[in-house]
Amino acid sequence: MITQVALAIRHLRKHKFYTFINIFGLATGIAACLLLFRLVYFEMRFDMFHKNADRIARIITEERDPSGGLNLTSGSALPAQDMIQNTVSHFEQFARVRSNGMQVTAGQGTPLERKLNAEETAVYAESSFFRIFDWKWLAGNPDEVLKTPGTVVLARNIADKLYGSWANAVGKTLLLDNKTPLIVQGVVENAPPNSDFQIEVFVSYETFKADKSLFGYNPNWGSSSSNDHVYVLLKNKLDFGAAEALLARVGQEEYRNTNSKKIHKLQPLSDLHFNSDLDTISDHTINKSRLFILSLIGLLVLAMACFNFINLATAMVVNRSKEVGVRKSLGGQRGHLIRQFMSETVVIVTFAAITGALFAYLLSPLLKKISAVPDDLPFLSNPAVWVFLLVVIVLVSVLSGLYPAFVMARFDPVAALKNNLNTRSIGGISLRKLLVLAQFTIAQALIISTLVALSQMNFLRNLELGYQPELVYNVWVSPDSAYIGKYETFKQRLKQLPGVESVSFSSDVPGSFNTWSGNFAFGLGSDDAPFGTSFKFIDEDYFETYGLKLVAGRELTQSDTVREAVVNETLLKRLGINNPQEAIGKEMRIGRDNWIPVVGVAADFKTSSAHEETQPMSMFSRKSTYFVTGIRMDPPSMTKTVENIKTVFEETFPDQVFDGQYYDEYIAEFYEDENRFSSFCQGFSLLAILISCLGLLGLASLMATQKTKEIGVRKVLGASVAGITGLLVKDFLKLVLVAIVIASPLAYLFMEDWLSDFVYRTPIHWWVFLLAGLLSAGVALLTVGFQSVRAAIADPVKSLRSE
Amino acid sequence: MLELKDIERCYTNGSSKTYVLRYVTANIQEGEFVSIMGPSGSGKSTLLHILGMLDAPTAGAYNFLGEPVHTFNERKRAELYQQYIGFVFQAYHLIDDLTVYENLEAPLMYKKVPAQERKSRIADMLDRFNIVAKKDLFPEQLSGGQQQLVGIARALIGRPKLILADEPTGNLQSQQAHEIMDIFQKLNREDGVTIIQVTHSEENARYGNRILNLKDGQLQA
Repeated sequence: MITQVALAIRHLRKHKFYTFINIFGLATGIAACLLLFRLVYFEMRFDMFHKNADRIARIITEERDPSGGLNLTSGSALPAQDMIQNTVSHFEQFARVRSNGMQVTAGQGTPLERKLNAEETAVYAESSFFRIFDWKWLAGNPDEVLKTPGTVVLARNIADKLYGSWANAVGKTLLLDNKTPLIVQGVVENAPPNSDFQIEVFVSYETFKADKSLFGYNPNWGSSSSNDHVYVLLKNKLDFGAAEALLARVGQEEYRNTNSKKIHKLQPLSDLHFNSDLDTISDHTINKSRLFILSLIGLLVLAMACFNFINLATAMVVNRSKEVGVRKSLGGQRGHLIRQFMSETVVIVTFAAITGALFAYLLSPLLKKISAVPDDLPFLSNPAVWVFLLVVIVLVSVLSGLYPAFVMARFDPVAALKNNLNTRSIGGISLRKLLVLAQFTIAQALIISTLVALSQMNFLRNLELGYQPELVYNVWVSPDSAYIGKYETFKQRLKQLPGVESVSFSSDVPGSFNTWSGNFAFGLGSDDAPFGTSFKFIDEDYFETYGLKLVAGRELTQSDTVREAVVNETLLKRLGINNPQEAIGKEMRIGRDNWIPVVGVAADFKTSSAHEETQPMSMFSRKSTYFVTGIRMDPPSMTKTVENIKTVFEETFPDQVFDGQYYDEYIAEFYEDENRFSSFCQGFSLLAILISCLGLLGLASLMATQKTKEIGVRKVLGASVAGITGLLVKDFLKLVLVAIVIASPLAYLFMEDWLSDFVYRTPIHWWVFLLAGLLSAGVALLTVGFQSVRAAIADPVKSLRSE
Repeated sequence: MLELKDIERCYTNGSSKTYVLRYVTANIQEGEFVSIMGPSGSGKSTLLHILGMLDAPTAGAYNFLGEPVHTFNERKRAELYQQYIGFVFQAYHLIDDLTVYENLEAPLMYKKVPAQERKSRIADMLDRFNIVAKKDLFPEQLSGGQQQLVGIARALIGRPKLILADEPTGNLQSQQAHEIMDIFQKLNREDGVTIIQVTHSEENARYGNRILNLKDGQLQA
């Protein structure tokens, strides 16, 4: 065994070029596969570490809307939660969790004062939450905490930030939203990265219930928020169906009274991470089909690398036929030979796996560009990675080594000794062509996908939004009675800053993730329109700041309350009003509010991402719902201006935490997923080209050496260099052409599906296919051409003599 | 030792059959030194390959040490020639990747000879052919004559009863050719090894004690 490996290594060192191509190609494939494996493994194992994971579920709400569609909500109405707790007996534990942005202040009024915004990481939670999920306790007793109002448990991260070290936290008092004091009862270790519960602040649910008006406790059956989660621990995992049957009966009468068709269901913990119809606390879900596609592409790339190996190995067989013949005449049997060639394969694959792991390690930062995984994803410390590498070594060795080994071992020793074997007589030539074809088909499909994704990203960048997000900076403010009085001062001070052009308060930016909508009636005395309208509350500077346009009438005048309305063109079109002028002076009403006049019609702007249709939109003024400040700046020295804005904010609202962002960065978040997909395509099409070219390079050079004699004879007979090059290149080009024909429709269907997610999208241009074809044909030509020309210009006398 | 009866080897090319060997009947006794001679294309090498069981006759019977080889499967034939036959080739056919030592070791590995014995047998051979100093060299570092010495050493190391040599001196200069033929003669006379060689040269044929003449695939009387 040891001598076999030593021999294998010697053989590989002798054929450095092929060994390099093989190892490099395989290593690249393995690296890519390993990166994707880490990604998929990470995503697949979310929250599986909880001891009782298979008994944990969440109560969700399924609502059937009048048109028959199903809407899922991750939360449930608060009175329904109470009823479920009292009527369904299958739960061992029952925990209400309400996620809610908070601001926490430690050491208030002292020099050590520290303030933090916990936008996405704070919850109100019942004590039982810690008996359902496993948290590692650094301080405090999980059985004692969060039982009374005014108590809180912190995660280590935030405790460190607030108190210097988590060890100092227990027993201290912190201030919630500058109002409610909370006593720190415990500190838990941060949630591991593969958890959908990245919670840093757990305020006792009792706190929330203790001041219902302050915290907006809504006891109505008609209202349910996606933030009001209930997690349960089933007594027995087999009770799932029985519990759901009981749940289905909860609140049916009450829901009928609110004119809605709602039913409660259980969502198992194992579904949480993969169901994008339902929110999670950390707001990161991923479809299993997406993971499937990623795994598939990883496997395809690995397969391409294996194809290279098989191709090169079977082509090399010719050069080794003599050795096979000799060994057979010395008494070597098929088994011996297969073992010998397999050990060569295993050596190559093992080297490749080590190199591949190194590549993967070096390329790890790129994972972030194609996925939402955290930076500190475990790599070598993850035993699964080692298992994976081992499986890859075995699998790749068997897949790519067995065939060439069998081909060689099967040789007729007499023919092998006479060197009578050529590439044709081994057979396998059609197999090799098929493999090259498969490689180029995959590469081609990836190139087309990349081009389409890039052209869509380009389309989105140039999409006419109807507003101008560039140069706008947003600062979030709180329309709380304590701060609302300072809005005007804030605005005036901002306007005086150099580099600030205009300032506007509003409930939301023009194009946003949020929607706020309701029924409306248009035209004095008429009934509600058959469709709803989105609304935004804006001040008189909104149009100027965000660059919105009017098509009729005027903008809103300054007012602290709802007095007049501006609507958009889409709303009028849906109502059947074609001339915007007609709308001016008409009255409209939101819900059961007062009738107000329409004073202006805004040109349509994209109210959301390009994934969604522009919504009917109505805009009013109302100071009490202004959450965001828009500040339009002059291009030079924007960084300086933002610093000044921060200073002004902190001076105006000393007890609030500054939270600001460039508006175009916010818009870029619309397309985070698409950007990742696009990077993914780019990376993997490059990889696919690289791997297929490596294979081509190896094949072409082998072919050139094997055809040395033929080339020599042809040259002696008067063939030109170009003629001979053409002869060698022709075969490969044919394969590339067939690959284009196969790949184009596949890639077209796949990318049409991808684009169908967008309302605003680029068509798939015909030239994409042409370009992709030219690209891969060009690359193939370069790879093969170099070897071919070299073979063609070689001195025929030399090549003939060597025979 | 071997008995050939009506051996026939033909290739079918479409509907026509080409006979490379036909009606070949011969007996070779243990201890003989036989030379197969004949013009190019007369079937000498094919006959040698059949004798060495690298190739199988299309018809006829071949008994080797009383065993009907033509009825054996590949595995059983391989076992036979592993045990009793050594090959020497015109182009030496050493394995390029292996050192002299390892080339000698290869057949012993296939015969599953234990490591200790392998060592001593290889040492003997290196000694006998005066190539101890070359044991760590690769074939390409040796002259043609030296390569053929290794080739013979390798053929002998399995202690065969029969050596089949396909123009063993065809690639060598006459001085080296004589040395090689002397070795064959010595093997035949002193060690009683049966030798069958294919050769073009009358001179080489004289080292042996019997000549089989082949013409157009048939033995000439």
